[in-house]
Amino acid sequence: MKRYVLLVVAIGFLAIYLFPLYWMYLTAFKPSSETFTYPPSFWPADPQFNFVRVFIDKKMDVYLWNSLVVACGTTVIAALIGTGCAYALARVRSVWMDLVLFLILMMQVLPPSLMATPIFVLFNQIGLIATPRFAVVLAQTAKVLPLYIVLCRTSFMQIPKELEEAARVDGASRIVAFFRIIVPLARNGILVTSVLIFLQSFGEYVYSRTLISQEDLQTATVGLMNFMGPNTTDWNGIMTYAVIYVTPIVIVFMLLQRKIVSGLTAGALK
Amino acid sequence: MSALLRSLRDGRGFDVALAALALAYLLVFSAFPLVYNVAMSFQEVDMFSLGDLIRPFVGLANYRALFAAPEFWSIMGNTALFVSLSIVFQLAIGFGLALFFQQDFVGATYLRGLFLAAWIIPALVAGAIWKWIFAGDFGVLNYMLMSTGIVNDKIFWLSTPAISLYSVIIANIWLGIPFNMILLSVGLAGIPKDMYEAAALDGAGPWGRFWHMTLPMMRSTLGAVTCLGVIFTLQQFDLFASLTQGGPANSSNVAQYWSWQLSFQNYDIATGSAVSVLMLGFVIVVALLYVRSTRQEHRA
Repeated sequence: MKRYVLLVVAIGFLAIYLFPLYWMYLTAFKPSSETFTYPPSFWPADPQFNFVRVFIDKKMDVYLWNSLVVACGTTVIAALIGTGCAYALARVRSVWMDLVLFLILMMQVLPPSLMATPIFVLFNQIGLIATPRFAVVLAQTAKVLPLYIVLCRTSFMQIPKELEEAARVDGASRIVAFFRIIVPLARNGILVTSVLIFLQSFGEYVYSRTLISQEDLQTATVGLMNFMGPNTTDWNGIMTYAVIYVTPIVIVFMLLQRKIVSGLTAGALK
Repeated sequence: MSALLRSLRDGRGFDVALAALALAYLLVFSAFPLVYNVAMSFQEVDMFSLGDLIRPFVGLANYRALFAAPEFWSIMGNTALFVSLSIVFQLAIGFGLALFFQQDFVGATYLRGLFLAAWIIPALVAGAIWKWIFAGDFGVLNYMLMSTGIVNDKIFWLSTPAISLYSVIIANIWLGIPFNMILLSVGLAGIPKDMYEAAALDGAGPWGRFWHMTLPMMRSTLGAVTCLGVIFTLQQFDLFASLTQGGPANSSNVAQYWSWQLSFQNYDIATGSAVSVLMLGFVIVVALLYVRSTRQEHRA
């Protein structure tokens, strides 16, 4: 009996906590006349489907495509560079590797809004600003790479060393053993970490805002900011935009929830 | 040469090369900008000297200008308030929820994980949602507070100078709760169950067990989570951009937003980098504390 009471209370907590998300979905479905009624309604009396109109009016295809480019680029580079490093850090224990891990942890903490100034000036000098999305990818990769390495490292640590040693006895070189044995065994961890990095980069804002000046190369976060403007009242439109943007993220998260949570908890405190 | 190649392909060199690749990337794109930033803070940097490699050295002039700026101390005060209030409430609520979900009932783990849905959405979108919730005339928060009789008049959450910072803090607490809760849950799960059973047999009540067992056992986790909280709170930029943009009249401005504003809205890049250097230095000190606290946990 007590366990059912706890379950109900837990659902209550969750409902209160996630109310802002409910409010976003609700507002997106309300007609604008219903949005500005007082007292507000908590269920749409006359649900609207403005998604196509907002998507086209606000050129969301361009924005979302740019966000996708940034997120994919970041994930690919982070995975290419980070996976091997995570493996080396998991396998070798020495003072030098401890130092590398320490440096990587240090680079994880640098706030992007504070790094934006030197990165902008630097990229401006070496001409990277000419390819702004690539510039954002490079900056964002530097931001998420440490997290990628730390999280992947834990999944490499769970692979018994004997498996690799057995492959070596059979004549496989380190490279072959790494690609044929180690990476396939750690692929779950690598995939989940990549998804996490991807989702984070899909919502990137500071670097996109700072480094991209052309409207048609800007990401969905910057598009949302432009939409909000200083004196906007089109909250239906803004929440519709938000719903279109966020729903795929929430769905991917729901599908992988268990794995993301366990990956985070295993890596975050170590 | 061939020995080096063989080592790279098949020996020690393989690990070294893998680690060096990522480290090199981070040195180029994180550490170097960091050093460059320090150099810029001692130079005269404006839109005209932006592309120059060698700029006039001005010593501590940027820092002097910064400390003399009328808004400097109030913004630093705001930053301290933002960080400390955010962390206190994130920790308290996160800890409470972690303790609650530690109990044994159907779906506890699953429901706990769902809290992270708020953490995974872009902070800028969360800011947009909160801006709408906080809206003065038609915002749902004012409606709830007024209909329950907590307040009598509409509060203009984002445009009242005395309140705007607290509004951002509320939104930031909301964003930070799930992460704190999950990390604290890991710590709680690490406390052996039989210790509680033994304490219960010895007649310790729930409060006694919390104060004399849970809290002491959680000390290093709480320390680590607090350090992480400071680090993540100082990374919060998107909420300021979407909610108040530091306004009205800098009443809700914090250092990490101010630095960006100075550089990219006032084009005063030298002062922007000086603020940035101060804050980065602070963050690195906190990170050192964090690494120390996790080290101790490893040994324990």
